[in-house]
Amino acid sequence: MSQHEEHGPSNNPAPSSSSNPAPSPNPTVPVPPSNPSYQITPDAILAEITSLSHKPVLLSQNLKSALPKESRDAILARLLPGGQDPLGALDVRTNTLGVLWILSARLMVHDAAPPPPHFILDFCRYFDPEQAKLAPDRVTMLARGIERYGYKLNNVAWAIEPLYLLLTRYPPDLSYLTTIHPIFLLACVTSRHFSIALPILQTPITNIDTHLSNLSYVDNLKYHYIGGIALAALERWEEAEDFFQICVGSPAMVPSAIQLEALKKLWLVQLIYRGKTSSLPRYVHQNLSRMLKNTAYQALTNAYPHNLDHLQKLIEEHRQLFSNEMNLGLVVHAFQRAPRWTLKKLTATYLTLSLADIAREIKIDSQEQVRNMLLVMIEAKEISAKISANGTVTFFDQPPQFSKQEVDRILQQVQQQSEYLKHLDRELGKDKEYITKALKQKDEPGWGGGMVDDDLFSSATGPGGQQWVDEPVYI
Amino acid sequence: MDSQDAQDDGIYASTSTHQSQAPQKPLIVHVDEAHPFDLESYISNYTGRTAVDRLIHIVHVSPVLAVEAFQLAVQLIQQSRDLSLYTGLIVAYDQMNANSGNQLPNSSNIAKLDQKWIDDVSAKNQAEKTKLEVELKTYANNMIKESIRMAHRYLGNFYRLTGDYSSAVKHLTKSREFCTTSQHILDMCLAIMIEHHNYANLTTYIFKGEAALESTAASNGNTGNGQAVGTSNATQIAASAAKKREKEQIQTKLDLAAAFSHLGQGNYEKVASYIFRLGPPKDLGDWAGTLISTADIAIYGALCALAGMSRGVLKTQLEGSKHFGSYLEQEPYVRELLNAYMGSNFRTVLELLTRYSARHYLDVHLSPHVQQLTNMIRNWAVVLYFQPFKSIRLDRMADAFGWTVEEVEQSVVNLIQTNQIQGRVDSQNKILQAKQTDYRADLFARAIKAGKDVQTANRKLLLRMRLQQADLVVRPPKQQPHYQQVPHHASQWQHIFE
Repeated sequence: MSQHEEHGPSNNPAPSSSSNPAPSPNPTVPVPPSNPSYQITPDAILAEITSLSHKPVLLSQNLKSALPKESRDAILARLLPGGQDPLGALDVRTNTLGVLWILSARLMVHDAAPPPPHFILDFCRYFDPEQAKLAPDRVTMLARGIERYGYKLNNVAWAIEPLYLLLTRYPPDLSYLTTIHPIFLLACVTSRHFSIALPILQTPITNIDTHLSNLSYVDNLKYHYIGGIALAALERWEEAEDFFQICVGSPAMVPSAIQLEALKKLWLVQLIYRGKTSSLPRYVHQNLSRMLKNTAYQALTNAYPHNLDHLQKLIEEHRQLFSNEMNLGLVVHAFQRAPRWTLKKLTATYLTLSLADIAREIKIDSQEQVRNMLLVMIEAKEISAKISANGTVTFFDQPPQFSKQEVDRILQQVQQQSEYLKHLDRELGKDKEYITKALKQKDEPGWGGGMVDDDLFSSATGPGGQQWVDEPVYI
Repeated sequence: MDSQDAQDDGIYASTSTHQSQAPQKPLIVHVDEAHPFDLESYISNYTGRTAVDRLIHIVHVSPVLAVEAFQLAVQLIQQSRDLSLYTGLIVAYDQMNANSGNQLPNSSNIAKLDQKWIDDVSAKNQAEKTKLEVELKTYANNMIKESIRMAHRYLGNFYRLTGDYSSAVKHLTKSREFCTTSQHILDMCLAIMIEHHNYANLTTYIFKGEAALESTAASNGNTGNGQAVGTSNATQIAASAAKKREKEQIQTKLDLAAAFSHLGQGNYEKVASYIFRLGPPKDLGDWAGTLISTADIAIYGALCALAGMSRGVLKTQLEGSKHFGSYLEQEPYVRELLNAYMGSNFRTVLELLTRYSARHYLDVHLSPHVQQLTNMIRNWAVVLYFQPFKSIRLDRMADAFGWTVEEVEQSVVNLIQTNQIQGRVDSQNKILQAKQTDYRADLFARAIKAGKDVQTANRKLLLRMRLQQADLVVRPPKQQPHYQQVPHHASQWQHIFE
């Protein structure tokens, strides 16, 4: 099964090759003659798995080569001749690889006997990650299978726990992106259990290993897009902004539709969190923001936040569009927060103002509402102000305070970061592919003999992105 | 081009510009003791078309002067041949009458043009037009260049007189193609444009004029060399001196035209610097009076400079200008205004501006800009006044400017919000305080923020690099367009943000 298969719930799950009923002993599927058609029965496979339980590498090879590709999953999904479940005969820990193959097939093959839910959970809790790593594509398949199983049970939330276990136990650590990430997040978001995803979301992805997990670019885009949605739903705007930004800024030869959607949401989140949109990094595909020119989204960001009447009109006018694109909630939220930005501007202009004056300036009728808004903003430390009994509001300039420990901690972080960068730089300098490229380029005229370290940043942001030049290698 | 179009381009266009500049309410200029304005002495500075034009503008904006201006205008129109001016005048007057509640006497009662005169003029115009056009056709058939040029020129002049400005420009431009020294014609084109407030097109002609000026200068040099054999040095020098004078005159006109074009676009600083660059008043030649009076130049220059330049720049520019002083002599209050501003006597500045606002509003070119200019000058004044203070009571400022406290507060708040004053208003106690920044803390805050930003940016970039290394790059789809995925993905999260 191709890794590019759509894994939405609405997809037709049946693999093209297996339409025969599972218990039939004779596979009607033609077996390629080159393939030794020795006992490809469930008990034979079971025997193979148990006998090779201590040689997982060999088992992995055998499973891959012995079974014909087309009918492989259909065979694996069958029960034993006596109607027994082969999974029952295997130990999750020692036979991780075998169970993984069978379980993933059972979950994905159409009309195969469904494994009991607790077995899936147990597997995810106790499997041996080392063995599982031998078959990353089966892990992906399992994750998709679990997701589908959740839909079949009519209880998407059920899928969250096994997926969470799988996700936390499979990769070496959470900084590695896997194919499980987007599936897990999607399950959380569809069942509205946003906060469960938080520990995962708070570990930023820094590692990509295609040997660990058969990733495609869609996995990355989806993870960061859905992650942004989850964080926005939790009102963690700053992190949501980061996630959408990563999605928008992912390398692209043509902008993806997911990136376009992410950009729309990014703008809305920025309006909510910052009161204005900020410019995109240079490495974002140019066509992306061009696509949003002259759309309702751009009109909205232009009118935000002071032109309340115009905003209201825009939202009314495009309500259908926003609602169709699932952004109405964010749009309305941004609109409700618009007076805050006006109020914030007032704090920069005035030292004292009466509540009535504020109400007039930010075009809110009731003073009580203004008072509430002020209190919320003061509590959230968005402004520093004092409301006295007679309705006078005094704004302060709160000079930023830093303790020595804080500064030290930040310095330390920065040092770590720069160490890490240096390390990366050296790693890259050792990289074979890089050295061949650099040597080739060195012979070409106009090659300035490398850039200084300061250029690291700018060259990384450039459209090439891969042109890393490292001085120390040649010294 | 038929004459209806031309009329639209002409006087109607000019009246409609005024309306579009002040769209909400029609501008009403009050002329009274506090805002003096002497119509007769004002209009005596102008002759020809611009006088009528200015009178029509006055009819348009000032109910007090409307009747008098109307009468004057009718007299002047009778000396001209342009019937469209009369229509424009009547429209302006009736509109003013309607706006002020029909309190003015009916236009036909004050002064009436002789119907016979109208018929005569229109018949004469028609006859001349036919005659000139036939002439042009004949010449064009005969291919006599010089005659074609002359025919175009006559036609151009004719259209200018009858108020068909676009046809006039068209013919004058054509006649330019048939002659070598084109300066005079450009000159006329510019004059016509200014007459008709076509500020946007001016620039094109100014460029052409400047290019022509350079080429004549170059050709002068060449002919000078060629004639050196036969002529004595003295005449040559005299000739080149005359040329130089002429060049200066033309340059002055071009600069003035440039000033007009920038004024039309609201680019006040440029207006001022072009006006400061003008040659002496006599260089204006026939433009003085038919287009603009020297007093006008003083007013435009001073107001635009006050509004558009900082005090330092204004001072150096003013000192560096050779001839602006001679324009200032025409209008003593302008000098007073500049002096008061330089002496930080802002109350006087504002009083003068108010006192002469009628004069400014009634000027046909300046009128749409007066409000904006006044605001800008006021802002400068407030900024300059507050500069040396750490905190100041608003009532003291009100005193210094002759405003109410509310006015002061309003303008100060605007200036803070546009970042022209670094301060905050204590609205309860009516005090303006300069902003105090703790630079050390500020520096820390900024450094830490920068550090955090760079770290986040690095993290994102490194991830991006890893993605690229793993070749996880979005590629164009092979078959179906990528877009089809959108509704599919999006529909799953429909309920989240509802």
